[in-house]
Amino acid sequence: MKTQEIFDQFVQLIKKYVKDVQKLETATMETKIIDDLKVNSARLVDIIINSEDAFDIEIDDDDADQIRTIGDVVNVIEHKLRVTAS
Amino acid sequence: MNAKAKFFLHLQYFLGRITIIVTAPALLCVVKLFGYRIRNLKEFRRKVSGMMSAHKGPWLICANHLTMIDSVVLAYAMFPVYRYIWSFKLLAWNLPEKMNFNANKFVGALCYLTKCIPVIRGGDREKVKSSLEKCAYLLKKGQSLMIFPEGTRSRDGRVDTVNFPYGVGRLVRNIPKCRVMCIYLRGDGQKTYSNFPRYGETFSAVVEECRPTTQLKGLKAQRDCAGQIVNHLSQMEKNHFRICGK
Repeated sequence: MKTQEIFDQFVQLIKKYVKDVQKLETATMETKIIDDLKVNSARLVDIIINSEDAFDIEIDDDDADQIRTIGDVVNVIEHKLRVTAS
Repeated sequence: MNAKAKFFLHLQYFLGRITIIVTAPALLCVVKLFGYRIRNLKEFRRKVSGMMSAHKGPWLICANHLTMIDSVVLAYAMFPVYRYIWSFKLLAWNLPEKMNFNANKFVGALCYLTKCIPVIRGGDREKVKSSLEKCAYLLKKGQSLMIFPEGTRSRDGRVDTVNFPYGVGRLVRNIPKCRVMCIYLRGDGQKTYSNFPRYGETFSAVVEECRPTTQLKGLKAQRDCAGQIVNHLSQMEKNHFRICGK
């Protein structure tokens, strides 16, 4: 799966949690999930769990704790998919 | 958690231990000054003591949250204040919002000496992680920790079973020896959340143990456990209103 495909799928997935939807339309890999998109910090875990289901992967605490930007999530998903495939 | 953070936690415990002779009566004064009463206090304390005798610790004390001084009222409700002087361990650690903790220097000092660890709510997971690491460390040492699983005061006056954080589930999953004590506390005049209970408030307090179990793994398990605790509190709330006939 290509990085852009993961990014697009994740942006769809995060939509219902984002308070500032306009910012999501111009989101990049550097967009901060809590600070820029105004996602409730408690709901970030729901987003990560939904990503686990959507991409059929498991994200552990340590990886989840590092997540700040959309790029962080995309990189974790990409890495997990690569590990699963190999 | 690094050695420096551990050292400062031990220092806080030590300073709290030697000043409890002042802070415990101060706690009692606050409760008496505002005329707060707990209904069936002896029975409530007997239950809490019984649970803590059966399991020495660690306990994760999970309560509903309606006012900014819930932890003060709960500390008074759980044990007579002289017991905190004899056994400082009985006083549970607390996690107040950093902004409230720093409201003024006197309150900040009092919070520090009565085992409060300030947390930044709504921060990123890295910041929350550092607070949770301290909590996990204390629980592993057999200390008790008081936490409000809803993460904030109940906005509509009822336990929020939808928008709650999962930090409590993370603690339960990471410290298997830790047991969960759910306490439901509500004043007769508390219709919704507020800064303080009204003057002369009479509270009802109920304590029950909750044993969250799950077959799930990772973050899903944390969410599941946190959900079970919050739902347990919500059930206690329903029972409270059923008994009150409201």
